[in-house]
Amino acid sequence: MSCPKTEHLLQEYFADDLAPLTREEMENHLRFCDHCSAELEALMLAQSSLNHWQDQRVPHWDRGMELFRREHRVPSPGFSFWSKLQWVPSAASFAMLAILLLNVTVVSSDSGISISFGANKIESALLESRLFAFEQQQEADMDELVQRFEDRQDSNNIELLQAVIDQTQQTTAENLDLIYAFFEQQRLQDLEDMRLGYQELVDSDYATIRSLQQIAQFVSYQGDIR
Amino acid sequence: MNLTDEDEALIAAALNGSTYAWEKLVKRYESKIYNHGLRLMGNSTDAMDLMQEVFLGVYRNLHRFRGDAKFSSWIFRIAYNKAVDLGRRKRLFSSHTRVGEQEEMDVLESIPGGASFEPEKMVVDQEQNQRIIAMLGKLPIEQRLIVELKVFQAKTFQEIADVQDVSENTVKTRFYTALKKLKVASEENHVLS
Ligand SMILES: [Zn+2]
Repeated sequence: MSCPKTEHLLQEYFADDLAPLTREEMENHLRFCDHCSAELEALMLAQSSLNHWQDQRVPHWDRGMELFRREHRVPSPGFSFWSKLQWVPSAASFAMLAILLLNVTVVSSDSGISISFGANKIESALLESRLFAFEQQQEADMDELVQRFEDRQDSNNIELLQAVIDQTQQTTAENLDLIYAFFEQQRLQDLEDMRLGYQELVDSDYATIRSLQQIAQFVSYQGDIR
Repeated sequence: MNLTDEDEALIAAALNGSTYAWEKLVKRYESKIYNHGLRLMGNSTDAMDLMQEVFLGVYRNLHRFRGDAKFSSWIFRIAYNKAVDLGRRKRLFSSHTRVGEQEEMDVLESIPGGASFEPEKMVVDQEQNQRIIAMLGKLPIEQRLIVELKVFQAKTFQEIADVQDVSENTVKTRFYTALKKLKVASEENHVLS
């Protein structure tokens, strides 16, 4: 009970733009031809079974955001650290300060007291006059000193900084952000401590060895927080 | 503001570097493209690959989008081309593609319905979807694409003909052939279940 019209008719049946007359002819044929109508029903059933599709959730993915940020130079939260390298000078000054603090030695002897900052030795007389000058202009001098700490860059500092960078190269940028925050906090605190230290020095009776020992203790305490 | 206008606003903002607009644009279409990929490729891994390639293609060509076509048409055209690429690259040969019965040989014919449609390889959770994927897997990809565009994307035969670069009549014939195969497949499904 096949029908010669089935193939053509059903193929056209699904067309988008059937003329109304053609559509009517088609439906007349389907009404009387069991073969064509059964075939059409089966095809429509097959098609409708596709409509049971339920959209599935997209697994988590990056949505191309990393690429987009990179190419539009939008700092991504994870990498903002590298885009602002202004932490380097801060780290350098912190490193330099650490070196300076560690190199401070206070020596007392019969001939007097000397405090050495690394290679530079300061005789007690000179220290006294320096400290006296501090009393007159402590604020201005401290600012200058602090400024000098921040500006000074010698090979030791660069080496230390390099060591710090090498050690932390393996860590993630996020960790480096934390380290940067720590450096910055540490640097500010150390500068403040330094200022207080000098203040203490100025305020105390610095003619006696005792007060200088206090300074030495203070200085070595500063070194310990490294 | 209708969806098309919103798409264009998002595209313009994304071209100006707005990550927010880009993400919103992706979110708007990712589910459609992913599910499209699932039906075409038959498994979630390939569907993800397809989706990522589609959005990379969208990203790379966003400045070429003119707005004379709808963005949704444009993105599905990219999806179509990527599906063809991906199928070709995978070089999987379908046991279901019997070249002899195809009227026309083109590159699509050699693209499989096969190996990636093994049910045990699928990570598709809905049972209903698994059945649909199994049915679609019986079709060579060019017929699968027609079914996809016609049934799931509600495109006209003329639109499909434009995308596939064949005549409208060829599309109609292929669609009819595809439906006949789906009929057989769904009958097998009902016998099995
Ligand atoms: Zn008939």
